Amino acid sequence: MRIFHKTNFNFIKHRKIAYAVSTILLVVGMASLFVRGLNYGIDFKGGAEVVIRFDKAVDVGDVRSIMEQAGVNGSVKQYGLDRSLLLKTDYQGDTTRLKALITNALSSRLPGNPSQILSIQAVGPSIAADMKMSAIKALAAALAGILLYVSVRFEFKFATAGVAAIFHDVLTVLGLFSLLGGLIDFMPLEVDQSIIAAFLTIAGYSITDTVVVYDRIRERLRGQKPSDYERIFNESMNQTLSRTVITSGTIMISVIVLFIFAGPAIRSFAFAMFAGILVGTYSSIFVAAPIVFDWQTRSKSPIKFRGA
Amino acid sequence: MKNNRFKLILIAVVAMVSVWSIWPTWRDHALSEKLKSFRSSEDSLKFAIDNREAIEHAKDKSLKLGLDLRGGMHLVMEVDILDLVEQKAWNKDATFTRVMESVKSQAATESNVNIVELVAAGFKKENIKLSRYFYDMRDSDQDIVNKLNAESKDALTRAKEIIRNRIDQYGVAEPVIQTQGSQRLIIELSGVTDEARVRKLLMGTAKLEFRLVKDPQATLRAVQSISGVSLAAPVAPAPTESVAPSDSAKAAAPVVAAPSPATAPAPAAAGIKKLSDVIGMLPNGVVFAPAYARDQVTAVLDRPDVQALLPQDTQLLLAAKPELAANGEKYFPIYLVKKTPELTGGVITEAKATFSAQDNQPEVLMSMNDEGTSKWARITGANIGKQVAIVLDGAIYSAPVVQSRIPSGNSVINGIGDLNEAKDLEIILKAGALPAPVHILEERTVGPSLGSDYIRAGMLSMMWGFVAVAIFMVIYYNKAGIAADLALVLNILVVISVLAGFGASLSLPGIAGIVLTMGMAVDANVLIYERIREELAEGKSLRMAVDTGYKRAFSSILDSHVTTLAAAFLLYVYGVGPVQGFAITLMIGTGASLFTAVVVTRVLFDLLIDSKFMDEKSFG
Repeated sequence: MRIFHKTNFNFIKHRKIAYAVSTILLVVGMASLFVRGLNYGIDFKGGAEVVIRFDKAVDVGDVRSIMEQAGVNGSVKQYGLDRSLLLKTDYQGDTTRLKALITNALSSRLPGNPSQILSIQAVGPSIAADMKMSAIKALAAALAGILLYVSVRFEFKFATAGVAAIFHDVLTVLGLFSLLGGLIDFMPLEVDQSIIAAFLTIAGYSITDTVVVYDRIRERLRGQKPSDYERIFNESMNQTLSRTVITSGTIMISVIVLFIFAGPAIRSFAFAMFAGILVGTYSSIFVAAPIVFDWQTRSKSPIKFRGA
Repeated sequence: MKNNRFKLILIAVVAMVSVWSIWPTWRDHALSEKLKSFRSSEDSLKFAIDNREAIEHAKDKSLKLGLDLRGGMHLVMEVDILDLVEQKAWNKDATFTRVMESVKSQAATESNVNIVELVAAGFKKENIKLSRYFYDMRDSDQDIVNKLNAESKDALTRAKEIIRNRIDQYGVAEPVIQTQGSQRLIIELSGVTDEARVRKLLMGTAKLEFRLVKDPQATLRAVQSISGVSLAAPVAPAPTESVAPSDSAKAAAPVVAAPSPATAPAPAAAGIKKLSDVIGMLPNGVVFAPAYARDQVTAVLDRPDVQALLPQDTQLLLAAKPELAANGEKYFPIYLVKKTPELTGGVITEAKATFSAQDNQPEVLMSMNDEGTSKWARITGANIGKQVAIVLDGAIYSAPVVQSRIPSGNSVINGIGDLNEAKDLEIILKAGALPAPVHILEERTVGPSLGSDYIRAGMLSMMWGFVAVAIFMVIYYNKAGIAADLALVLNILVVISVLAGFGASLSLPGIAGIVLTMGMAVDANVLIYERIREELAEGKSLRMAVDTGYKRAFSSILDSHVTTLAAAFLLYVYGVGPVQGFAITLMIGTGASLFTAVVVTRVLFDLLIDSKFMDEKSFG
């Protein structure tokens, strides 16, 4: 079976459209980051999350008002499992007391519907600040490491454009999280440790597709006249289109399976991966290679190919 | 083909090692299923005893599940180094308190800093030599910083040991206790059912002190001297909402004697209440606080400005357990005790929780070392007829009247709620007191029922992930897809066996990593197959096309694997807990896929082409 057989898209000719799309994505994302900020999870903000399961179906609004009256401030939402609710609060301190507050309030106000606390996660503010710092360090180190590796393996222009594409991908997904954070009920899209894991995986993976396109361009560019570059870029991208899409496709299968089956704890992560791979595939074709092309046509020095 | 023979042997070895490593996991599962299948409990017990060795061996070597899957507690605790520094200081004065306060607020904003350095910087800013408060006058600042650093390092190690002792005695299977940085402990306990009790056990400082109780007249005078202070702290107002209506305060008064005028609570109209509004005094020297006001009174008595009003070297402490008045109200007696303890818990060598012979209430019997025994004999001998309070963590458990000199070094703590509490106290006293208080910074508790939900979700996603990816590969690449699927099976085997073999545990994020790896592992095959298709389209023979396909695709495959490995490695280094599980499986999976895609499928092709199973059309 073949999905892309002998395609002949003129990617380079239409690159300006892609630039515009990417710019809009990035500007909207950044604007939202500045205006709305990010919806941080307890990992980075501190606070507590409690998962409560009820014996019978329960109205979220009822529980919300019971919690308010009990003095537990925060949000109450459906948790992905059956008859379970997720209570999120900025409560700091002894979880024994928090647990007592919740169970007392629920057992006295909903006596006919026994409930059980399935899990409690509480993170203090100092450790949350630490985790945030670690996350930033990990992201920075990953980007620096990938930049180093790609610049060892590829020519300078290729490497720079490839890393630009990674930034493009991570920032777009970050912008998406800022835009949609807290809006979707079954998927809070909070930025926590698992999302950082997704970002790092996206950063590592984003370069995969790019490398495939680059390899082909390099291979075919050797010893060609600069006037033929546009044709060669286009042909290379068309030749590799199939594998670029299929490699992303198989990961997409995994990610979609995770989104559907792995439960609420993994859902935001799966969404981040989904968006990241989608944007990553797009950017290897429409961002990374066209940047190299534009850069090359404008600069006077030809690409110096390394080795054989 | 000689080369292939070597590769075949390598693949066989990898596969065999994987199966050998996973075998105990399967066996463990089979055995526990078998155990469950028996109808009567005698049968299953008999089976368990007969096969004890096999069961234990399988359990020991099987793949461990993470805390999120089997249920348990993950805690990050911090040893309060600031408190330790404060303990080490002598002739503390107002300046000292002020500097320490500012260091405290600074430490709260900056995370994971060296507290000792902060303290040193704090005193340096004020131009005060550290030797004024710490160690010897002749020590230089640097000496003192070094000594304090050594103390805090030692405190962390001791805290770890003590907490390990406590957990071991409480009985948790395979606890994990690690130090992190200069003042943190990471504790992982699986299968804990009573988290509140464990939390208390871990945090209990068990600072045991024997203190002399002052006589009733002195107590009354002392309480009167502070009865005018307001309940609200001078800086931060104490929460007043929790104060019950004033009539219940009246009812709280014991009926044995008429309440003195001081007991009568003033109406709460003024907003800010005085201490005398919530505590009661009887002419015979009994002072008490009703149960509802306990936290408030404790807070007031802890305030330095209140303590300054009391006579030299004395302190007012509340009882740990309320007494029941005839009308059913609970109230906490308050005692005036000497601030300097006569004896501390350091002398305790043995503790035993038991029931008292007289009233069948839980109590803890303690015995002391030689030094403690002789001191205890002297103290009891000198104070016959007086009360000695047994103070644990700042609350008075009992204040018995000394009847006679006690030469044996025995003492007893009573006034304990239940036997569990007595047992925990025994554990804490035996394990020794923590060198400094510990605080819980992070807590993640997952109950076993949620864990089994997660296991089900994880299994479902692994299964569907494999089925979907495998079917896709066969549809898209035909027979070559089957080769990729075989490689994928080996890949998953390797990931699980490496996890089991190295004793790493599998968590829900780890399962997510495996599912993700499935999608990534076949990528290398996709790159190779696409290349082979191209070569075939150029009219090359099948064997030539396969050769060039593998050769040409290798560079891209290596690049993508290295970048993914790098990202996963950094995630492992900087991430904590759950995310590390994801990073580990991603790393193993990526490494394994390099082997399975490049070596395994290659050998498979050679074999399949030789046996004429594959031809030019087999790549779809």
